[in-house]
Amino acid sequence: MNLLEIDHLTCAFGKLVVTDNLSLSIGEGERHVIIGPNGAGKTSLINQIGGQLKPSAGRILLHGRDVTGQSPSRISRLGVARTFQRNNLFQNLSVAENLQLALTVRFGNPLDFFSVAARDQALAARVRQLLQLVHLDGWDGRIVRTLSYGEQRQLEVAVALASEPKLLLLDEPTSGMSPTETARMIELIAALPRTLSVLMIEHDMTVVFSIADRITVLYYGQILASGLPDDIRADPRVREVYLGMVH
Amino acid sequence: MELLVAQLLNGLVYGVLLFLMAAGLSLIFGLMNVVSLAHGSFFMLGAFVGLSIFHLTGSFWLALLLSPLPVVAIGVVMEVLFLRPLYARGHMDQVLLTFGFTFIFYDLVQTVWGKVVLTLPTPEALQSTLHIGVGVFSAYRLFLIGFGFAVALLLWLLLERSRIGAMVRAGVDNAEMAAGLGGNIPALFTGVFGFGVALAALGGIAAGPVLGLYPGMDTDILIPAFIVTVIGGMGSLRGAFVGSLLIGIADTFGKAYFQSIALFLIYLAMTLVLLIRPQGLFGVKFSDVSPPSAVTRTESASTRVTFIAGLVALVALVLLPFVLPEYQRALIAEIFIFAIFAMSLDLILGFTGLMSLGHAAFFGLGAYTVAVLGAQFGLNAWLGLGAGVLFAAGGAALIGFFCVRTGGTSFLMLTLAFSQLVFSVALKWRDVTGGSDGMALAEQPGFLGLSLSNSLVMYFMTLLFFVAAYLALRRLINAPLGRAFVGIRENEARMAAIGYPTRTYKLIAFIVAGAFAGLAGGLYVIYNGFISSDAVYWTASGDILIMTMLGGAGTLIGPPIGAAVFLLLKNVVSSYSDHWLSIIGAAFVFCVLFIPGGIWGAVQKLRWQGSAP
Ligand SMILES: Nc1ncnc2c1ncn2[C@@H]1O[C@H](COP(=O)(O)OP(=O)(O)OP(=O)(O)O)[C@@H](O)[C@H]1O
Ligand SMILES: [Mg+2]
Repeated sequence: MNLLEIDHLTCAFGKLVVTDNLSLSIGEGERHVIIGPNGAGKTSLINQIGGQLKPSAGRILLHGRDVTGQSPSRISRLGVARTFQRNNLFQNLSVAENLQLALTVRFGNPLDFFSVAARDQALAARVRQLLQLVHLDGWDGRIVRTLSYGEQRQLEVAVALASEPKLLLLDEPTSGMSPTETARMIELIAALPRTLSVLMIEHDMTVVFSIADRITVLYYGQILASGLPDDIRADPRVREVYLGMVH
Repeated sequence: MELLVAQLLNGLVYGVLLFLMAAGLSLIFGLMNVVSLAHGSFFMLGAFVGLSIFHLTGSFWLALLLSPLPVVAIGVVMEVLFLRPLYARGHMDQVLLTFGFTFIFYDLVQTVWGKVVLTLPTPEALQSTLHIGVGVFSAYRLFLIGFGFAVALLLWLLLERSRIGAMVRAGVDNAEMAAGLGGNIPALFTGVFGFGVALAALGGIAAGPVLGLYPGMDTDILIPAFIVTVIGGMGSLRGAFVGSLLIGIADTFGKAYFQSIALFLIYLAMTLVLLIRPQGLFGVKFSDVSPPSAVTRTESASTRVTFIAGLVALVALVLLPFVLPEYQRALIAEIFIFAIFAMSLDLILGFTGLMSLGHAAFFGLGAYTVAVLGAQFGLNAWLGLGAGVLFAAGGAALIGFFCVRTGGTSFLMLTLAFSQLVFSVALKWRDVTGGSDGMALAEQPGFLGLSLSNSLVMYFMTLLFFVAAYLALRRLINAPLGRAFVGIRENEARMAAIGYPTRTYKLIAFIVAGAFAGLAGGLYVIYNGFISSDAVYWTASGDILIMTMLGGAGTLIGPPIGAAVFLLLKNVVSSYSDHWLSIIGAAFVFCVLFIPGGIWGAVQKLRWQGSAP
């Protein structure tokens, strides 16, 4: 059974149809990259999977289970984690606290009103591991808003990984990053265990082709093409509307 | 039949008055995202200024025509001088600013026109009654209805057909887009604000002959107008119109036919709408208000330094009463109680980022539970206190269930509306609560075998509760649950995305805050021996809000400091000035404008700067 099954999904803002009768499936462990010009509806699609946006028709199945229109928190608890196109962190909290919040709700007891969160050693150890993973070791105590944009991007990914999701949704994880940071991000994503599926939006073609098992090209809310990287590269329509145009 | 038609007309009259208020509120909110809490004050000012003009000239029509002018001038000055500098800072500060002004205007009216109910006679030309078909109708009421509908029509034409209307509508959809249209945004804002104020002032003077004039008529119209905008949908003129007539008629019929539950009828309507359509009947946009900016860094878990500092403070508080005269011991005991109350508000305000304007409701629930159980069943006040905490928590659960479904501005309006409901019950249920005359505590309990009439015993009793509440809340704030509250304050969307059902967490915060407020209320009755409906009036919620913000929201030390400064100041000032309300209002305005982090926030800032390399 596929991990994620998107079935004739439709969503519109007023008259603007951003997801147009779209069907797509993602297998266990698959790295699936979505590309498409600006405004194609990529983020909107991720928002519907994550529960931030309600589709008007169609279904989203996770492990065969209908999760269409459920709340973000519920979908998160079903094993879906995401990052945002624009950094969406707890700006005034420390790096460690950002991760603790994500860890506690999944592995701890978020209703605990008595123990001191900051003194939880197991939690702190897990925080250090995650920070190491995204190359932010030793930054636990820094307040997030004092980090550079690229560093915040890295933290975004760490927060999403904290819950050990089955499906990871990444919305342009390398945007605004320096080449070194981008290279490290590719490395990080490539090294993620195959027990995890990744659905990622990306503009940078080097990143796309170095990560993707399969690629889907979105265009005005519809799928223009979907398949193996080599097929997409060779597809004349894709070349016409997208590859020739951007970057 | 005749009665029915008469009631319908009365309902329409009330609906039309509500519309004059709600239309302005809605326009201002739609364009500027600001809920003007001073809107009721402009209604009241319009009425009183109109009365004075009437006394001077003897003409109702001149009064109707002229009274909006000075009121609009006041409104425009307020917008330009006070609101405008805050546009960059977020809407919540602006809302708080308008709240500060309500105190000042209230005091102004009390001072100039006195505290009694005044009447404005019906204009002579309309004193007659008309016989139409089945009944006899007051000409003035018919005129009012016509007047209201004419204004509605005019507004609609203005919005739909004129260039300015197009700009306002564009602004409602998107402020930047309106700027792109070449509109002069600040002038447009001021114009619309002034226009809204004019409608409110007109409503006030027009209402004069029907409703009477008294200080307090501001909230009496503001709350139902809020309910109208919540039902109709924020920022929608059509919603304001339909909602006004609906509430006007429902309320009038309720009062005529279901007296005992009339009070609840419009709240029932509101909660129903909220359950089915949280954005209101015609609402297009949700209110988006960032959490209060008066949020400072949260306390770190205790280090040795804070532990020693806390110990020193505690020893000082233990020794303090022995050097104070009796009277001042009592004052400090009161400060301890209000410190608990302020900390409870801070849990939702500073830590969870929910701005409540109705927190006094839970204080009142706790207080009345102790007093009423004592009076009716002879229950010991300490047992009553336990019951009061539970009852306040229950009330918070019920009210919070509806409030947390909304956010930002609607949350603020709903908490205010529900607290006024609690106030109305306390006021009207005289047999049990004593209404505005209040009720005494049947029997003062002992404390550990000692008598609380001894000021030392009272002091230590309240100190004990204060310290316990402080430690409990501190523990909570540093525990995972408290961290989740802070996470919601910082970024609710991300909290949801990482798996927190944020609405549930907000409700939990609301209930815990309600319980602690109930504790403070119960203690207050034991301390004071008396409770009246004043303790749950909106000004009481305002008092506690200013204490919290003055001391520093988002910290646990700030609220007690704020409570101390506020009550000490009040104690000094009210002994030689009657204008305590104005002073609170001014302090409010000052606090929002200049020390958004409160006293403790400012101290912490200095400390950080001092420790920076
Ligand atoms: N909340 C909203 N209300 C109205 N329109 C919206 C909203 N969010 C997105 N849109 C519009 O929907 C379309 C698709 O947006 P979306 O963010 O999904 O595109 P995208 O493919 O992620 O683009 P980009 O590459 O710029 O991130 C765009 O035209 C956008 O302007
Ligand atoms: Mg996007």
